[in-house]
Amino acid sequence: MAVAALSAAEAPPQASPRAISRQRAIRRFKLSLLAPLIALFAFLLVPVLLLQLYFSFHQWTVYLSSWWDADYVGIDLFKEVLTDPRFGWATLRSLAFATSSTLGCFVFGFMLAYLMKRPFRGQAIYYIIFILPMLTVPVVVAYTAEMMLYQSGPINDVITRLSGFEFKPSWLSNPNIALMTVSLLEIWNWTPFSFIIMLAGLSAIPKEPVEAAEILGASKWRIFWEVELPLLRPVILLALVLRFLEAMAEFPKTWALFQGGPGSATETLPVYIFMTTWQYFQISKGAAMSYIVMLMMVVIVLLAIQLLRREKRSLDKMYEQSDEPIAGA
Amino acid sequence: MSKLGISRRTLVQGGLGLTVANFLPGTTPFAQAASMEESTIAAAKAAGATSVNGMIWSPYLVPMQPVIAEFTKETGIGIGAVQDISIFDAPQRAMAEALSRSAQFDFIHIDSNMIPSLASAGYLEPLDEYMKKANFKIEAVGDYGSFMTYGGHTYGIPTDGNVHIQYVRKDLIEDPDNKKRFADKFGKELKFPETWEENLRLQEFLMDPSKDLYGSGNLRNRANGVTWWYMIYYSAGGFPFDDDMKPTLNTPAGQYAVDIYLQDKKVNHPEAANWGTPQMIPRIAQGNVVSCQYWDGTAKLNENPAKSKTTGKWLYGLVPGSDFSGKRMHRSISSPLAAILINKYSPRKAQAAYLALWLGSGKNSIPIVTDPVNTFNDAWAKEHMASDAVKKAYSPAGVKAIETNFQVVAPPIYLTGYLEFQDALGKNLSEAYVGQLPAKDVLKKTEDEWIAIIRRIGQSKLKNDLASYKAVMPKRDNPA
Repeated sequence: MAVAALSAAEAPPQASPRAISRQRAIRRFKLSLLAPLIALFAFLLVPVLLLQLYFSFHQWTVYLSSWWDADYVGIDLFKEVLTDPRFGWATLRSLAFATSSTLGCFVFGFMLAYLMKRPFRGQAIYYIIFILPMLTVPVVVAYTAEMMLYQSGPINDVITRLSGFEFKPSWLSNPNIALMTVSLLEIWNWTPFSFIIMLAGLSAIPKEPVEAAEILGASKWRIFWEVELPLLRPVILLALVLRFLEAMAEFPKTWALFQGGPGSATETLPVYIFMTTWQYFQISKGAAMSYIVMLMMVVIVLLAIQLLRREKRSLDKMYEQSDEPIAGA
Repeated sequence: MSKLGISRRTLVQGGLGLTVANFLPGTTPFAQAASMEESTIAAAKAAGATSVNGMIWSPYLVPMQPVIAEFTKETGIGIGAVQDISIFDAPQRAMAEALSRSAQFDFIHIDSNMIPSLASAGYLEPLDEYMKKANFKIEAVGDYGSFMTYGGHTYGIPTDGNVHIQYVRKDLIEDPDNKKRFADKFGKELKFPETWEENLRLQEFLMDPSKDLYGSGNLRNRANGVTWWYMIYYSAGGFPFDDDMKPTLNTPAGQYAVDIYLQDKKVNHPEAANWGTPQMIPRIAQGNVVSCQYWDGTAKLNENPAKSKTTGKWLYGLVPGSDFSGKRMHRSISSPLAAILINKYSPRKAQAAYLALWLGSGKNSIPIVTDPVNTFNDAWAKEHMASDAVKKAYSPAGVKAIETNFQVVAPPIYLTGYLEFQDALGKNLSEAYVGQLPAKDVLKKTEDEWIAIIRRIGQSKLKNDLASYKAVMPKRDNPA
């Protein structure tokens, strides 16, 4: 009897028919939202990934036979890619490019977002101006930059006139700064992306902790450093990760401006994969390379998700602590 | 015959008389053979009216349109959907089409050096049968027509010669002061350069960077620079493979070519390491270059006073040669050589092939190669060399230079895998030019990379290709 009473007490409350119907409707809605994505993944991405997987385990040369006659070579192509010095250099260049441009985009994007945090007159115009670079097609950015970045071009000229000393770097032909040139263009092109994310993050910061810090007499810098920045950490992380992944895949500007040159100064991963697959027609090696890069990206994304979850947990904990009643109050 | 009252003598005399009369100017032959153009029309009509789809870059297509319109009027065969893809990006797209065995394009307009790769991938339709039916011949200057052949078949119809000719500033080398200074310094006459060494000396002597005048206008970027290297290497007696398909770059001839190639840095613009045609052509036409080898179409621009500051200030001629092999040899180059190729998988391949033949007749292509605005299609046919319109567009000296260089024109690597071979060499040369790789390592490194390419494509297959490559090499050391 006691057992029966206990079971009844522990049993979850019976959901009402209305609640059940609501839950079903929510599930249907979620499915309807996800269905196109699932279909796209199943019918388009999965076959392509499988075909690419097939190629990365089969050595196929386009000149000799049909692709289904390709020789099975196991992991030889992966070994070949991983021991290819050009692939190694391309990876390093891509990492250097993605890191520098991501940080650049973030710093400028954050600064702009901070300036735009509080409403002011004519803010919408500034907003439009700040996001304009992102709306410019990367190839257009590249060709416009090409015209401006000649040694005797307008950029060097303006800097020389403003600074008073001769400023003549060869942005487009010096192999030591060519990658930096693309990086600067990437920063110009994609700072608005970081700006938008950071502006959204800044707008979402709850007012109470900031007001509390102000009442306690904290300086603006301290409020920023000890209140706003910790609250923004998940957003910052998201902005950095998304930008980094995008930067690792940058191709149009690098190709339009340099095609891997001068020398091999701008031969990044996308450029090398493109050349291997579509210039050398080494479809199998290109597929193996793409898989390795994809796995690298997956690892980065998983790490990022892990970090984001940790950030969210720490924030939740912080909010919980702030909600707890003060002892004796 | 006697029954008819005509003696044998009378008949023979009459026959002879008619034969002679047939050759007299102003007389109409009794049975005139149809021209190549008429035969093409007749063969195309038999194939049936339709619209053909293709891939072609618009600067090439625009001047062809009036010629195509005429063909459409005669045969009902016209142009349908066109993908406007740059000639530099066309190989990638064409190979993607080949991989998928797509029938999307009936014809593609592309660098003819892609013929071995695309034919090996099974994408190309041989044109021999169509040419036979239309009684068509590629009447190109020198052995240039053979550039369209591979494995004994013709796969392309040229639309653009793109041969390199030598450009030298006439006003500078004929200047009495310059002549005297040069003679004083070198004890030699300042004249049109005949060898690579003479060319470098002249460029170095006449350049004046303070006036933005540089000695050279040659390209040294990763994508194009290699084209210049071939000219030097071939003229030094080099050929990149032995009969067993082993690379033979790392030889004295190869090192000589690397040395000459890199010396250009002394006389070229400091930013030349990444400059392509969009940067260099305006500099040539605007008078910032002393001497260079460049595509022949630039002569059209130079001689157009509306677009050039140097009209009438150029000497055109044969590209420099070399005595390195023990005998003087000149080698010009044609790359990319734009040609129309036909898709084997196309259901309208016959119509597309006849359209290509129509565009590739010497007579029909005169307006195409003389278009004053879209100057991408350059003269190549024997008929062009005699045409007044062509002479007007390129100047008589320009036409003469084109004709001369065609007699010793060579292709780049004419093998399956051309782009891969070329990029390996181009990358290493570019690295050496910007100081990333020691000059002595360029050819060794390239050979190692080429050996891997040969292994992958197949040595025996490439050995077969080698015959086609050798067949398109020029047969004479110097122009007649």
